[in-house]
Amino acid sequence: MVSRWMYVSLVILYSFLLGPFVIIFMASFGANANLAFPPQGFTLDWFANVFETSQFVDSFWISLQLGLSSTIVSLVMGMPVAYALVRFQFSGSGMVETVFSAPILVPGLVMGFAMLNFFVLLGDMHVMTTLFIGHTAILFPYSVRVISASLRNLDPYVEDAAVSLGANRLRGFLLVVLPNMQAGIAAAFVLGFITSFNNVPVSLFLSGPGVTTLPVSMLSYLEYYFDPTIAALSTLLVIFTVVLVQTAERLLGVSQFV
Amino acid sequence: MIRRHNQNRTIVLLVAPAFVFVLVFFILPLLFLLSQSVLPEDGGFTLTGYADFFESRVSRIVYQRTLKLGLIVTGICVLMSYPAAFVLARMPARRRSFLMLLVILPLMTNAVARTFAWLIILGQRGMINQTLLALELVERPVRFMYTETAIVLGLTQLFLPLMVLPLVSAMENIPDDVLEAARSLGANRLTTFLRIIVPLSSDGLVLGATLVFTGSVTAFVTPAILGGSRLLLMSTLLRQEAVILFDLHAASVVAVVMILTTLAVNLLLRVLRVQQV
Amino acid sequence: MPHLEIDDLTVSYEKDKPALARFSLDVGQGELVSLLGPSGCGKTTTLRSVAGFIQPDAGRIVIDGRDYTRLPPNQRDIGLVFQSYALFPHLTVFNNVAFGLRMRRAPRKVVHARVTYALRMVGLEAFADRRPAQLSGGQQQRVALARATVIEPQVLLLDEPLSNLDARLRVDMRQEIRRLQQQLGITTLYVTHDQVEAMSISDRVVVMNEGKIEQIGAPESIFAAPETVFVADFMGFDNHFSAAVESAQADKLTVNWGGVPIELHWHSKVGAPHRGARAEVFFRADNASLSAAADAKGLSGQVILHTFHGNEVRYLVETEVGEFGILQDSAGQRFENGAEVSVQAQTQKWIAIIE
Repeated sequence: MVSRWMYVSLVILYSFLLGPFVIIFMASFGANANLAFPPQGFTLDWFANVFETSQFVDSFWISLQLGLSSTIVSLVMGMPVAYALVRFQFSGSGMVETVFSAPILVPGLVMGFAMLNFFVLLGDMHVMTTLFIGHTAILFPYSVRVISASLRNLDPYVEDAAVSLGANRLRGFLLVVLPNMQAGIAAAFVLGFITSFNNVPVSLFLSGPGVTTLPVSMLSYLEYYFDPTIAALSTLLVIFTVVLVQTAERLLGVSQFV
Repeated sequence: MIRRHNQNRTIVLLVAPAFVFVLVFFILPLLFLLSQSVLPEDGGFTLTGYADFFESRVSRIVYQRTLKLGLIVTGICVLMSYPAAFVLARMPARRRSFLMLLVILPLMTNAVARTFAWLIILGQRGMINQTLLALELVERPVRFMYTETAIVLGLTQLFLPLMVLPLVSAMENIPDDVLEAARSLGANRLTTFLRIIVPLSSDGLVLGATLVFTGSVTAFVTPAILGGSRLLLMSTLLRQEAVILFDLHAASVVAVVMILTTLAVNLLLRVLRVQQV
Repeated sequence: MPHLEIDDLTVSYEKDKPALARFSLDVGQGELVSLLGPSGCGKTTTLRSVAGFIQPDAGRIVIDGRDYTRLPPNQRDIGLVFQSYALFPHLTVFNNVAFGLRMRRAPRKVVHARVTYALRMVGLEAFADRRPAQLSGGQQQRVALARATVIEPQVLLLDEPLSNLDARLRVDMRQEIRRLQQQLGITTLYVTHDQVEAMSISDRVVVMNEGKIEQIGAPESIFAAPETVFVADFMGFDNHFSAAVESAQADKLTVNWGGVPIELHWHSKVGAPHRGARAEVFFRADNASLSAAADAKGLSGQVILHTFHGNEVRYLVETEVGEFGILQDSAGQRFENGAEVSVQAQTQKWIAIIE
């Protein structure tokens, strides 16, 4: 069924998907500051420039903190929801599912704008707090969905088995369910972290003076400068992502849940 | 499904914390946004914000342009993904999982980085212009930046994976036997593709199209970088109204129109999907 | 005094549609009782109520004189074997079996000794360090059995334990479960939908339908003398016809079988049958025989299909009363399709049911 011209389509698809990355890699090592193509010479200056630009270093730490905290909180709160949805049949489960998938249906930029207005209404809130709340809210759909998938993979009767052998419900969950969800939790964690770490639309409105996430500061850097620093930073981020995903995959076989 | 006693109390305890969180910090802001769009600060209920939006030439053009580009991007993604997804779905599992990883990887890199590449490709001294000049096809660099073409290219690159992934998973579920059965009954390759593969993968197509279209009409980073303020889309218009013009009333109208558009598309495609069943 | 008493147990998932209606059963010490019936008959509901996973709307469960009805499942002294085995995928065989003892805070040495003994009983000593995923279906089944029995529960509950095994292994495991149960002398409830399995393993069989008991008895009596149409159907009586009662005595009644009067054992739920009452007559394919039409007098019919089964040939015979399947020794006289035959009834093994 697969004919030769179909392979051509595969080549086109992948050059379109990955070509831009190759160009970014090349540009990040090129010596010319004006992004002319092809790059001339070889330099690591742009990488040095990334680490010397405090705007990037500061916002990296903020993105890291934000990614970790909002992912963890959305997991801790989302896991019981996933458990309820998978293990119980109850009226209103459809409504619960809709509410928790809503953050995917509403455009991120709209959400950031709506939250900004709402937080202004609530009064003085720390920028970091509003960013944390915004990111946690948009991560729920991912946590709930991935954890649900990994729960569905586990025979529901193992919990009953633990209980029939003398464990109470909580112990049954901790001793039997949780250890078997390691990979699912890790997958949800990686997915959530990456989603938060890369988010622009929500962060754009919720960032404040001195508190900006990395992608937003990349965007504002582009408004003023047009040099390969962003290419170098992008290269670093791609490497960071690949290492993160590969590690999670090696250790826990995460990909089955994404 | 397991039944237990005290079930309702347990469910409430499990769902309540996250539910309250989403309700307060997600649903409530949305309702506030909605009210803001019909209740300007200096008056009672009015729909003038919406009337203004649809009567103003600028915002009408922006809205039409956004929808148009969304359709174009979706169409290109379908054309590029369909045959490729079929090849991927028929591959041995090992090779496929590696290639699928390469599809997912771009999704995990931030949009700023991915859009930046187009500056290098389409810029005044970018790859394409250098090539055109070297071949002496043009005398002066062509302006690609801040054009609809640039935005379409950027968005296509951004959302292509969202079309490939659901298509591949839909096509994986078509058994080889079914295709062989079609061939044995006298269908040629094209007929098999059109009469068997396309209908059986339509769920993936509809899902992919929903994701790509809604993604395209709401994306911010790509139109901000490749279109700027010269070529506004809904998202960049929203940003402009809110941050630069500081017209929160107008901005919330734009925001609500964006929500309604995505909801309408989701609903429409869901209906399409149900009708097929 | 029975060891396990279930009194008037009623469970409803939906209003007015009880999954279990006033179910009562006494099981003696060391007895194995099967709950047999199609899916949805309430057998699993009964089992899960005894285990404590379902809170009954009414009724009582008493084990060894202690009222269990309101006791949470983790405080009941019960061993449960699941249809899916429900082994803990992240734990080794040893730790799976040790789980219940550890929950009971048994000392390390005791845990080790008893788990080792339990694994020896099911022949899995060598597999103690494996994970469940590395075991065959039969081995997983044994681990589940060892895990449920190592805690020396008052009552052992088995929920369709063999349904995930292939046919051959099922026969072996059936014997193994019975042997272990008798060695341990453990009071056991065994849920199954397979009548052969129920008969071969049980001291008594409870046939259930729509939340109610149809019949309780020793396997032999249920096999030979079903008391209701449902039980007769379920126990593999392949031939059935309705007939009017011509006369009835205390232990026999007479019906007309296509002009041939036959005398049958009967069972009635509605009192002694009167003349003209409708009787449902059941017989198995091997409780009738065929001979050439010219040779004998019986019910005359015509062979419309014959299929070869090794030692036997099964004939489908069309008569004026209906179509019947009849097994004949393949070494005996053979009939072709279309042959005119005469059907002889071996009525001592037939049964008439009046409902």
